[in-house]
Amino acid sequence: MTAVLAIAYNTVREALSRRVVLLFLFGALVLIVLSPLFSFLSPREELTLLKSLGLGVIQLASMFICIVMGISLIPAEIERRTIYTVLSKPVQRYEFVLGKFLGGILTMLLNILFMGLVFFVVVAWRGTPKQALDLWKGFVMIFFQMSILVSLAIFFSVFLTPFVNFFMSLGVYIIGTLSSVTESLMKGENRTVLQKGIGAVLHYLLPNFGNFNIQNKIIHPETRIINEGVYYIQNIGYAILYIAVLLIIAVIIFDRREV
Amino acid sequence: MESAIKIEGLTKEYLNKTTGKMVRAVDDLHLEVYRGEIFGFLGPNGAGKTTTIKMLLGLIFPTKGDAWVLGKPIGDVSVKRQIAYLPESPYFYEYLTGRQVLDFYARLFGVPAGERKKKVEALLEMVGLSRDGDKTLRNYSKGMLQRIGIAQALINDPELLFLDEPTSGLDPMARIEIRDLIMRLKQQGKTVFLSSHQLLEVELICDRVSILNRGKLLKAGKLDELLPSGRVEIVAENVDDGVAEKIRALGGQVQRQNGRVVVQQPDDASVNKVVDIIRSANGIIRSLIPQRRTLEELFVSTIEEVEKK
Repeated sequence: MTAVLAIAYNTVREALSRRVVLLFLFGALVLIVLSPLFSFLSPREELTLLKSLGLGVIQLASMFICIVMGISLIPAEIERRTIYTVLSKPVQRYEFVLGKFLGGILTMLLNILFMGLVFFVVVAWRGTPKQALDLWKGFVMIFFQMSILVSLAIFFSVFLTPFVNFFMSLGVYIIGTLSSVTESLMKGENRTVLQKGIGAVLHYLLPNFGNFNIQNKIIHPETRIINEGVYYIQNIGYAILYIAVLLIIAVIIFDRREV
Repeated sequence: MESAIKIEGLTKEYLNKTTGKMVRAVDDLHLEVYRGEIFGFLGPNGAGKTTTIKMLLGLIFPTKGDAWVLGKPIGDVSVKRQIAYLPESPYFYEYLTGRQVLDFYARLFGVPAGERKKKVEALLEMVGLSRDGDKTLRNYSKGMLQRIGIAQALINDPELLFLDEPTSGLDPMARIEIRDLIMRLKQQGKTVFLSSHQLLEVELICDRVSILNRGKLLKAGKLDELLPSGRVEIVAENVDDGVAEKIRALGGQVQRQNGRVVVQQPDDASVNKVVDIIRSANGIIRSLIPQRRTLEELFVSTIEEVEKK
């Protein structure tokens, strides 16, 4: 476990020193801070727009940081040959993959916390502290959504090039976010067997990112989620299970890979 | 003698993506390295040296054959507590400082925090980087990176060290320091598996060497056996042509240089006779030096011989 933590700690340090990660973070922070200025663009209530924009920015920035960071976590170590000095120490390959994943999600956690804190201050300033406090569930769900995305990028990275991985991870994220579309493709009445089959594969095999999008509930507090507690627990459980399966397959492949 | 590394029929084939053909990087290699020795692993670029080391470390997998490191089959992670690896042109995390990078490697061995700090300082001191320990590695010169590489290899006080070109990029003084360090490691009973192109260094410090070319082992053995003495050079003065003819009759090569005669005698057996002939004709012996073939000569002739075939 010491090796896993050492690799994770090093991964966070590296990720936070990458300009591209800082660029997305900085861009998101600027947009969040300036979001009150955009209220004139919409006839909607300022706070509604503010929440909508802020959560959207945090999610989008997190997604790009996740993909850009996740696709290179392992390949960069191989390309730079730093992996030689790590795997020639008493480090199992699964510990290496786990350390990289842990480092990836810790980086995401820090990013989301930082963006969330700034967003919290903006909402408290333009609305009330109570309204700002209601945002935390959204941050938690974004974090778990992004954790799946990091594991997905790591999974692809053990057998795909970073370039292909970027589009694969992005593609799966987009399809996974449109879970209602894949569900309708699977269950629609006028669909052929092939269409239904494709819909079922996409719906069940790809991660269901859409279930983590609870922005609507946060933007419109009057909206209710039936069995809200169960809903969150189920989705967090789903995220943990999905991540575990992806990482196990990634380790099996990486264990056989030459570096 | 107990073996530190035992290799039996190790073979590595890979697909050359450009030509689409299978290439044999290491071909049926048999080798044994004994505990406590410095073993020179030689060969031109592309001979399969690094591929062999990577197989021994479990970084890549052999196509055929077996190998054991400190008695454990390759791929056994537990043995990595007792071994160290310095890759050729080592690359490290350039955003870390010298201290941080050594701390990171110490963490991988689970060294407790207090001990880690002492160890890191001692290693920085040993490789002469104490004053540069807080600089990020992106500001290190090639020589400084090599020193950090050596420091990380010693972090676990290993029994067996794989050193791939350890003096590459170092200035002459630093090379001598590293050479002395390797000798000290041997005195401490450690085994060093040294891959190097610096043949003079290898000749100075290695107990045994092997020469590899195109994945095949061409020669392996003790330096004394591979580089036998026998040829003797005699320099003498006051030697006339009649004496020179007598020496030639004994198989020696005679050359006149600046009024002196230089005799190359191919073996020990006739040296005394040559000396007697020179002295009985009132010649003066100035020097008598046994000539040993250098490792460089052996290396070049071994590779050339195979390439001609």
